[in-house]
Amino acid sequence: MSAELRYVGKPVARDDAIDKVTGAARYTHDLALPGMLHAAVLTSPHASARILKIDTSAAKALPGVRAVLTGDALDYRLGLYLQDKRILAREVVRYQGEPVVAVAADTLDGAREACRLVEVEYEPIEPVLDPRDGLKEGAPLVHPDLGTYAHMEGVFFPKPGTNIAHHQKVRKGDFDAAFASADVTLTAEFYNPPVQHVPMETHATIVQTLPGDRAEIWSSSQSPYTVRHLMSVCLGLPHANLRVHVPYVGGGFGGKAGLHLEPLAYVLSRAAGGRPVKIVATREEEFNTLPSRQGLHSTVEIGTDKDGRIVALKATYVWDAGAYADYGVNVGRAAAYSGAGPYVIPNCWIDSFVVYTNKVFGTAYRGFGHLEVLWGIERAIDRTARKLDMDPVEFRRVNLLREGETTITGEPFTSGHGSPVECLDAVAKAIDWGRPSEPPSEPRKARGKGIAMLHKAPAMPTYTSCAAVIKLDEDGAADVLVSGVDYGQGTYTVLRQVAAEELKLPIDKVHVTWDCDTAFSPYDWQTVASRFAYMGGNAVIEAAADCLRQIRAVAARALDVEADEIVCEDGAAFAKDDPERRIPYPRLALGYTFENGNSIGGPVIGHGRYIATGLTHLDPETGQGLPAQYWTYGAHGVEIEVDTETGEIEVLDIATAIDAGKVLNPKLCVGQVVGGVVQGLGSALWEGFKFDEHGRLLNPAFVDYKIPTAKDVPRRTQQILLENPQPGGPYGARGIAEHPMISVPGAIGNALFDALGIEFTTLPLDAERVLLRVRERGEIG
Amino acid sequence: MHEIRLTVNGRVERATVPAATTLLELLRERLHLTGAKEGCGIGECGACTVLLDGAPVTACLVLAVEADGRDVRTIEGEARGGELSDLQKAFIDAGAVQCGFCTPGMILSARALLDRNPNPTDDEIVEAIAGNLCRCTGYEAILQAVRLAAERLRGREASEGRRLPAEGDEANSAMKGGG
Amino acid sequence: MLGAFDYVRARSVDEACRLLAESDDAAVLAGGTDLLVEIRNGLRSPRLLVDVKSIDELAVLDADGTERVIGAAVPLNRVAEHRAIRDALPALAESALSIGTYQLRNRATLAGNLCNASPAADSAPVLMTVGARLTVAGPSGTRTVPVSVLFTGVKRTCLAPGEIVTDVRIPAPESGTRTAFLKQQRIRGHDLAVVNVAGSYAPDAGTLRVAVGSCAPTPVLLEPIDASGSVDVVAGRAIELAEAAVSPISDVRASAAYRRAVLPVLLRRLVDRLLNGGRRS
Repeated sequence: MSAELRYVGKPVARDDAIDKVTGAARYTHDLALPGMLHAAVLTSPHASARILKIDTSAAKALPGVRAVLTGDALDYRLGLYLQDKRILAREVVRYQGEPVVAVAADTLDGAREACRLVEVEYEPIEPVLDPRDGLKEGAPLVHPDLGTYAHMEGVFFPKPGTNIAHHQKVRKGDFDAAFASADVTLTAEFYNPPVQHVPMETHATIVQTLPGDRAEIWSSSQSPYTVRHLMSVCLGLPHANLRVHVPYVGGGFGGKAGLHLEPLAYVLSRAAGGRPVKIVATREEEFNTLPSRQGLHSTVEIGTDKDGRIVALKATYVWDAGAYADYGVNVGRAAAYSGAGPYVIPNCWIDSFVVYTNKVFGTAYRGFGHLEVLWGIERAIDRTARKLDMDPVEFRRVNLLREGETTITGEPFTSGHGSPVECLDAVAKAIDWGRPSEPPSEPRKARGKGIAMLHKAPAMPTYTSCAAVIKLDEDGAADVLVSGVDYGQGTYTVLRQVAAEELKLPIDKVHVTWDCDTAFSPYDWQTVASRFAYMGGNAVIEAAADCLRQIRAVAARALDVEADEIVCEDGAAFAKDDPERRIPYPRLALGYTFENGNSIGGPVIGHGRYIATGLTHLDPETGQGLPAQYWTYGAHGVEIEVDTETGEIEVLDIATAIDAGKVLNPKLCVGQVVGGVVQGLGSALWEGFKFDEHGRLLNPAFVDYKIPTAKDVPRRTQQILLENPQPGGPYGARGIAEHPMISVPGAIGNALFDALGIEFTTLPLDAERVLLRVRERGEIG
Repeated sequence: MHEIRLTVNGRVERATVPAATTLLELLRERLHLTGAKEGCGIGECGACTVLLDGAPVTACLVLAVEADGRDVRTIEGEARGGELSDLQKAFIDAGAVQCGFCTPGMILSARALLDRNPNPTDDEIVEAIAGNLCRCTGYEAILQAVRLAAERLRGREASEGRRLPAEGDEANSAMKGGG
Repeated sequence: MLGAFDYVRARSVDEACRLLAESDDAAVLAGGTDLLVEIRNGLRSPRLLVDVKSIDELAVLDADGTERVIGAAVPLNRVAEHRAIRDALPALAESALSIGTYQLRNRATLAGNLCNASPAADSAPVLMTVGARLTVAGPSGTRTVPVSVLFTGVKRTCLAPGEIVTDVRIPAPESGTRTAFLKQQRIRGHDLAVVNVAGSYAPDAGTLRVAVGSCAPTPVLLEPIDASGSVDVVAGRAIELAEAAVSPISDVRASAAYRRAVLPVLLRRLVDRLLNGGRRS
């Protein structure tokens, strides 16, 4: 692309913003259909129990109640990769908060009143609350029938008779021998608690069942086609019978990928004679019933030679999956192939166990396991560096992946991957690494600096695909149809830019149709994994090329030249030797009419698609294979100030470098980075589920689950976006949306050591944890 | 049941409501003004922020009957005559909108701030919007938007020769005690 | 809907008292930011809410006279932004500003914060240290209740059924009095206190009054503290008194160990601010 780009790479403003700033944007929360009923759910008070009896008679008798359902009436199985879940609990409950009874009524108050009238008798069972306990011999089994569940064979390996939903391995070289002969070794353990996505719009869905086994679904979802597919599998219906709409979505962060409330709304609608049923999660249900991010216990062992080259790395990841496997097994899988960080590891041994417990279950969450894994890895890297008496930046520089090296799954690293080393250098420079901090504002405070690397590739099936359709309007404007979802990240704006660039149209004549509708919008796998700009961008480029081909063919006949002589520019077509004779797109968009009335061509509709290429399955024993369409690398550098008397941490400066390949829209890209960093700060400093000894969630509300407010942002943030192009990426771009959150905790943990000389291994690094460790050390007073 | 009469975005609205109906429910379900959102139901997240006699409140914790005789402004009343306000334009220009769910409440908190203080410091902006949770933006672009709107507003008022309230003036008279 | 209750606007204190007395389960509605949440969460289910915000006396905010009178229906923002209060009782303004969000403070009231009687009530420590008193109207007339005796247990006050607070009165401080308030939170954004402390220092009298919150079933007012000596010495006295008077627990917000660790830190900073840097009236 030698010519200067007109739109790609520019800070084009979103055109959905106007709907959002005026209140016109309608989210699933805001939708209503004629005759719509409202649903409420009664959930389990126990983490693990047998359901002995449910008496719904009083609920059913309440006026306005149209349907009351319990699990024993619903013989369906659900599960993305492992069908371990029911629509409503059946025979047993497996987590406190699990839906047991559902009611659809004329009013929400009526549905809630009906739920209050239901009586359930439980027989509590001893719960499994820690996945490490779940792995022990003789532990209670969360899924005694694990062996009977259908699952994605060859990719996931549940172990019947245990609590192991999946076990992923990497075996490269000979870890034991290399570790035994290493000059310096480190062994350390780390922990991440479960956290919640906290989208501002809670999960919501409306389903209307229709005659002929059909249904129409509106959902606050990241993946309309996955909703459709999983419903189809669960209900045994053809895909075409199910139509899914996704309007504006108020945040997802991974929690709205997959299938959540839709099957329940479906069965309620059917039980209510086909009336639409709306379910909106309360905030408490969002925390306690809808899924979370899995907790993780890690053990990391690193061995190096005396020059600081890593010779061996072993990691054991024990994932706290909660009561159902959902995306958790795939997170566990990704944690293995990604689980050594962006380093050259000649001998690598990773075991990633996804273990059931009796807690709310985990799902995809921005970063897909990488934040949790890199907390441990980046802390271990720093500690190993210090054992070697090496500067942690230098230690990383020595060991980072470079051209000519291979990853732990045997994938060759090329310059097309981008440059982890440049990212490292960028953040080191940005926080003035090597120069001690300025003295703290008060003597009781301590300052420190820390660095952490990050990496991630989209964790997606080898056949993941995406399609786009572009149709021209009568006035030559273009409508782009996709069914990836823009739930705030801004991808539709990026696709608009790409389409305008490729179609040679002014951008105000290019629109991305907002609402997805599986009846009209072409297939997209899911909007997760930082893959939509990449795959959608490529699909749009191909669709635009298809439109131009059609335009050129017709223009060529109109101008009596060969098609390859036609140039498209600024919304018009002309022969390259005769630029004055322009045919503007409006005269070609629906075909072309000669002066005498003859017409040729027809409506211009282009289509494009993209399918993941070159990916392979991972060997079940060794984990070797090619799981990654592209890797995105980055780093954080952070400077913090700690109050050693209260334990509070303030982030003075956080620099994030990401090798984006090509920054498609700098304003949106920066928006993703700042937003991701602050969300990462939440995981680093404040967020975490707290359970009592019975497995009941103690903080299912904002009162005691604190997320960053405007008062909690760092004093300064810096965003450094590198552009080493990604081969195969649209304009050389790679995905960046998850990455800004991934190593925020690691960087802060490293900075905390610099400030205090104390190793922290458990998140969040809240004031209490910090202060009590400071006091334990004794000398601060 | 209670008969209430209130002004919403400049229009008089009448409704008959049970006492336990919240202002948020009245706005969203009866008046179909769905800009104010329910994010938590307990006044912690600010997504339901509206202006009650000019003061930002969380409508989930205001009863509709308490709003009888009062003036309510929602996001739908922010644009006048089809023209976006300074704040709305600034939010767009500064990239302060991502998923948009917090945006209506955020803009109204900022609106009330600029109405009472056209020249806010960064700390004052933060204090005004700290009760509006956002999970997407990390807040920086939102602060930028409010600064930008304030700048533009001051620039326009200066060029129109309008006097800006001086520091130390009595607090906005909309803040009387009272339901 | 939040629940199943009826609502009435009282126009006078007498009417409010009568309505409370006549109903078998009525609650006072001022800001509603505690009450409505409790109703929503099923913790309370009154049958009648008596809205007191239209009663003129309860809207009084008179901080220019010798005795400061803050009507029970005055929202926290109005208290915090009142110049005379900011000047004379800065700690009261600060503690008001530390409660919830800006939106919440357009509704919530000092009286409501007190009557809710959370051990973590942010307005309580300051008001205790400045000798604030509540004017309470009830079926048997009007009485005065010092804030220092208001709290009788977690979420419990000494008010009798049918009584309502009409105002908070703060006596004129001795000249040169300084006040201060400190609150330990989990996050800088709006949060409940993990520990909160307030102090009032009258240099002429040579004593400090200190109150501690979130460390016992109620906020606790300590015995007067001799202010002579260095900050360390005075703080030491305060810490000794405090540690004997409180019994922090572990809850979802913090552990007892953390509260015990932070309390002396806050007390020392409080004393430092009062003796050296507190703002004077």
